[in-house]
Amino acid sequence: MPVFAALFLTLPCLVWVTRVSAHDPVFGAGPHVLFKGGVEVHLGSRYEKAGDERDSEAELELKYGITGDWTAGIGLSYLRSEDDEDTDTGRGPSSLSTKYRFWRNDMLGAQESAAVLAGVILDDANVGEPKRDGSDYLMGLAYGYEGRKWYRWASVRHRFNEDADSGAERPNLWLLDFVLGIRPTPTEYLEPDWVWMLELNGEIVDKVSNQVGDTSMRIGGSQWFLSPGLMWTHRNLAIKAGVQLPIYDDLAANQASGDYRVKLEAEWHF
Amino acid sequence: MKPTLLMALLVAGFSWPVSADTRYDLRVDGLACPYCAYGIEKKLKALDGVDGDTLAIRLNEGLVSFTVRGDATITEPVLKQLINDAGFTLRGLETQDIVKPEQKND
Repeated sequence: MPVFAALFLTLPCLVWVTRVSAHDPVFGAGPHVLFKGGVEVHLGSRYEKAGDERDSEAELELKYGITGDWTAGIGLSYLRSEDDEDTDTGRGPSSLSTKYRFWRNDMLGAQESAAVLAGVILDDANVGEPKRDGSDYLMGLAYGYEGRKWYRWASVRHRFNEDADSGAERPNLWLLDFVLGIRPTPTEYLEPDWVWMLELNGEIVDKVSNQVGDTSMRIGGSQWFLSPGLMWTHRNLAIKAGVQLPIYDDLAANQASGDYRVKLEAEWHF
Repeated sequence: MKPTLLMALLVAGFSWPVSADTRYDLRVDGLACPYCAYGIEKKLKALDGVDGDTLAIRLNEGLVSFTVRGDATITEPVLKQLINDAGFTLRGLETQDIVKPEQKND
């Protein structure tokens, strides 16, 4: 893959491995963890269009509840990147993740909590991003309030990206999320349950310059998205879907901003 | 012997309590969504003596109710830990014996 193309692909791929789960927002992160001894099977698919670029991903993640406040998981993904001239398909980066809920305030019909999360994105992909010198790392902090009717979440995550083998710098990334949710009808246990959400997602990539031959290429910048989504659950099954629509961008040089992103996920708890 | 006393003795002879199930009512804080409450269902049903068919989780009232069969008992510390492991907080516990009379058929 030409260096230019590899660099160009860097930006969208920065945000792939930011999986969230359980009763958390669709795109943002939340403090939710599994019950002790619980297993979560998470299947997801995403589609992103940015200019002529189209990327899709299928993912499988397994999580385990180590305690009632601590969850760990492993994720695998399959990527397809295409433009008008070329198509790449193959294995995406595997990931290891963990989340620890360090604070919980339980009230009648409501729960407020906060968690730290961390992840390692391994350098084992064979498509979609340039070969790196090592793994990328993700750290984050998430807050959430879940009530019988209203939800709110906020989170900040930082991804530390390893440079590419070619020497090109892969900039670090901040992810900021603010989410409101509402359950129109406070359903009871064993009834199908709907929660509607509206997310504001920010992606702030450090601006860096990379020398490609005689040309200096600048990448990075920020993008903000408004993301309506919904979550449908029934007992131990959850289905989540959402679309990210760009509302603002300040990208370096002439990088293509995202047109839209779509996400569909299913989860089972056992 | 008075007729009423005789009647009472006859009734006692034909029926008596054979089991004393116990109903548990748990006041649980943090119950906001049905999906999250599944952990409580799974953990309670795994306990010896819990009659899974009687389990009821009432989110709007923050109540979890179930019946424990026979002489089995579940202590409050066990329930407190179980609810905590499920991700919630046990605020209160009430128990009530349920006496089931069984008619003698012979």
